[in-house]
Amino acid sequence: MFELLQQSLFSGLLVGSVYALVALGIALTFGAMKIINLAHGELVLLAAYMAYVIESRTGWNPYAAIPLAFAVTALVSIAIYLLIERIREHRELNSLILTFAIGVILTNAILLVFASDVRSTNSPLLQDAVSLGSVYAMNSELLAFVVSLLVMAGLWWWLRNSWYGRAVRAVSSNRDASMLMGIDPRRVELAAFIVAGILASVAGVALYTMSVVQPALGPALTVKAFVVTVLAGVGSIPGVFCAALLLGVTEAMTVTLASSALQELVGMVLFLLVLFFMPNGLFGARARRG
Amino acid sequence: MLRLEDVTVRFGGLVALKEVSFAMGEGEILGLVGPNGAGKTTLFNTISGLVRPRTGRILFKDREIGKLPLHARARLGLGRTFQIPQPMHHLTVRENLTVAQVFGAGASDPARIDEILEVMELAEHADRDAATELALQELKRLEVAKALATNPALLLLDEVLAGLESHAKRRFIAKLRELHQRYALAIVIVEHDIETISSLCSRAVVLNFGELIADGTPEEVFRNPAVVESYTGTADA
Repeated sequence: MFELLQQSLFSGLLVGSVYALVALGIALTFGAMKIINLAHGELVLLAAYMAYVIESRTGWNPYAAIPLAFAVTALVSIAIYLLIERIREHRELNSLILTFAIGVILTNAILLVFASDVRSTNSPLLQDAVSLGSVYAMNSELLAFVVSLLVMAGLWWWLRNSWYGRAVRAVSSNRDASMLMGIDPRRVELAAFIVAGILASVAGVALYTMSVVQPALGPALTVKAFVVTVLAGVGSIPGVFCAALLLGVTEAMTVTLASSALQELVGMVLFLLVLFFMPNGLFGARARRG
Repeated sequence: MLRLEDVTVRFGGLVALKEVSFAMGEGEILGLVGPNGAGKTTLFNTISGLVRPRTGRILFKDREIGKLPLHARARLGLGRTFQIPQPMHHLTVRENLTVAQVFGAGASDPARIDEILEVMELAEHADRDAATELALQELKRLEVAKALATNPALLLLDEVLAGLESHAKRRFIAKLRELHQRYALAIVIVEHDIETISSLCSRAVVLNFGELIADGTPEEVFRNPAVVESYTGTADA
């Protein structure tokens, strides 16, 4: 039993790292614009299908699809941003309806182009299992974990050290005050959307290599990312990472100890408990001193 | 430097500013006074771009800016502080200033940031989180420092002295005089304290119910019966 729990913990951590990538995209656009992009899961799914296209047409490793996936998700992200930017009133609320509709359109477009079949990688290299002491993982899971860590480190660096990263933090802190500092929020918001597209493209390719994808997966990904964002609280990349790992582990443990039918439910219960007892999230912004 | 011509602002049926006109020159320190609800902050919001005027023109450096967004006005040299300090969360004091400098002044000049930190007595707090680790006085100084980092020609200070005890207020007034001379700034300051306006400003304009009711030296406007009445309800108080 102990080994089973160890394995669940390990698998949960690996899958949680991909949840973190998906969630960071939502957290970034929410931070910069105070809107929740309900089509973000479909962006991840688009990237996953680009990995499928590259692998099935060329036989290359699915990770070779990242440039194509990025180009596609960036274009769709820019289109979504330009539509949101045209909203004149109640942007937070109306953007929910808009991005939900875009998500439905993208899901059906994927269904039309790729049919409803389930897709996953055929790469023996990625599917091979390796043993790490008493636990096992597929190469694809370990690779996804490492790639997720690297991408998150890159995002951390960008937000800390680049001018646009700092501007994203400034706009997310106070839009009007940041404009008085000379920041054009539209450029910053667009940059945040494009970076969220990069995160979605990597997450989608990673997801394709370690799991199965099908056209209806988008909303579930968005919900998971939203749960992680709320668990983490606003404004913390390490917080999003830890919350995503927590969700991954909780889901894996639920499958091991109870039933796979309860996997989604447990995540939502965790979400509600945090909302009730820690509304700022597990790693939310600190209160001002004094 | 700054000229307002018949600026009117309405919020629904409420006239917040009614045909307000005045002009100020380079290097001038202008006091903007009036009772609560007179329209002082609305006027600041209109000049800085947070509120669009219904009618009238706003000219800054002989350029019509009434339809420009906030960030474009900041880049032209219009700096503004808020009554309640608005530091950028998750950014250090130095990052607050460097972001303002890069995007507002269009250049990165670490030496000038160091100078502003020194002048505003924030050097020892440079690496602290601006939103969570500063006391009120420091936040007020940061508010001014952020505006200075955008390299402004005109600084709009909205009740920057509010909440400070008298000693801190005197030090802040001396600091504003220093900034005025060192950076050749024009300043518009909203302030309730008559003594402060008299000691700091060469000129004052008074708003009441959105209308400009007096314009002149502080001594002149504070003797003006209309101004006295706006504050006390009676002309001979």
